[in-house]
Amino acid sequence: MKTSRWMEVVNLCLLFCFLGGGLAYGAEMLLRGFGAISTVQAFKEFGVVVSPHWQAYAEDFISFVNGVGRLYLPVIVGVPLVFLIHFVAIGPKGFEHRGRRISFYGLFTRFLHWMCAIFFSLVVVSGLMVVFAKVLGGGSLVLSARTIHLFCAYGFMVFAAPLFLIWVKDMFPALYDFKWLLCGGGYLSKRKVEVPAGKFNFGQKMWFWLAFVGGAVMFYTGYVVSGLSLPQAQIAGYVKIHLILGLFIVALFITHLYMSLFAVKGSLRSMISGYKWEEEVRVLHSRMLK
Amino acid sequence: MARMKFLCDIERCIDCKGCVIACKEGNGVPVGINRRRVITINQGKPGERSISIACMHCSDAPCIAVCPVSALYQRDDGIVLVNKDVCIGCGYCFIACPFGVPQFPKGDTFGKRGVMDKCTFCAGGPAPNFSEKERRLYGQNRIAEGKVPLCAAMCSTKALLAGDGDKIARIFQERVARRGTGGKAPGWSTVYK
Repeated sequence: MKTSRWMEVVNLCLLFCFLGGGLAYGAEMLLRGFGAISTVQAFKEFGVVVSPHWQAYAEDFISFVNGVGRLYLPVIVGVPLVFLIHFVAIGPKGFEHRGRRISFYGLFTRFLHWMCAIFFSLVVVSGLMVVFAKVLGGGSLVLSARTIHLFCAYGFMVFAAPLFLIWVKDMFPALYDFKWLLCGGGYLSKRKVEVPAGKFNFGQKMWFWLAFVGGAVMFYTGYVVSGLSLPQAQIAGYVKIHLILGLFIVALFITHLYMSLFAVKGSLRSMISGYKWEEEVRVLHSRMLK
Repeated sequence: MARMKFLCDIERCIDCKGCVIACKEGNGVPVGINRRRVITINQGKPGERSISIACMHCSDAPCIAVCPVSALYQRDDGIVLVNKDVCIGCGYCFIACPFGVPQFPKGDTFGKRGVMDKCTFCAGGPAPNFSEKERRLYGQNRIAEGKVPLCAAMCSTKALLAGDGDKIARIFQERVARRGTGGKAPGWSTVYK
């Protein structure tokens, strides 16, 4: 009897010990552990806030930026070199400047064209200055080029929009453009053979779409890149588009310069006067007279 | 040679933003530019933590890797600095930085950016030490004076540690050891999964 009373006391003590220990452990967990996260877990959460996609895009972006710059030099040296060879080996196309003059560009069109030309040329030159910033030593010279680049991009868009609407109806590809492409636009010889082209040949059409639609894409991507207001991963994508498209635009810009200044004699004058001589139209824009 | 590092002890940071103010005021950082910022997660909830972030002066800095004019460079002690006379403000460093650190002052002309600004670890810049140009472009050169950066010097809870990477790692290790481990200690599943 006495033993069982002692056992009751011991059991009671053990019960209190377990209960007390449990309560103390619970209180400890509440005070120290409730809702707590480990340091490592917290750093993971910080990573999500600070740079959520860095690992996904950064390596690719770093190698792209270092690689694409090297493609511009071959373009600005190689394309003019090809045209120099063309100029020496084949030479420019000349047409008789007499007979009937055919109206090609209205006054407003010419005004828009030259405004676009001024702004576009400045955009290209200032853009190339940014690409070759290291050669120029960086600093204030290139910073000024960036300001010109931004200003002229806005200027180009203002004049490009109405010019796009004026020209777009003549710029859709036609079946004879394929033939034009096959005969190299008639520029592979000095013979005056009629080449299949309407008001604008396929080369001009390509330049039109690249300069206007490509120009709009360049404007938008440049706008995003200059703002730096989107997540870094997205801006990285816009930088890539801007630099790759810029490469093609520079190549065709040089082509346009060569064609208008050297390849076809009187081409520049026709964009000033608005008229082309009949022989030139008959050969280079044969479909217009049919 | 010692490699300079920042380490923010998130168990101590109380989001007072004293480091941000000290940096801005002490270095004359213009409005709109923050060389240092404090980020808080789970604000007002259990598990709230804050961290003070600035340039981490990465050992293999991505900003240096993408800079097209080599305006960014790393000193022998690991501090990454920018030469503002060469920087063209292209923004590539901002895209490449894992911490979104590079800052660009916005101009009025078509919203164009100026040259990049970032934490210098209070080590000035490429201009001569203690020169007016260094002060104006980069801020204080406390490292040349043998002092720690302003942010770490004024941190009231000493959450922000700055200095030789080995030494601050040891300080942090001692703190972690004192805090104990228990159920919250990171294991394989927390760290690597």
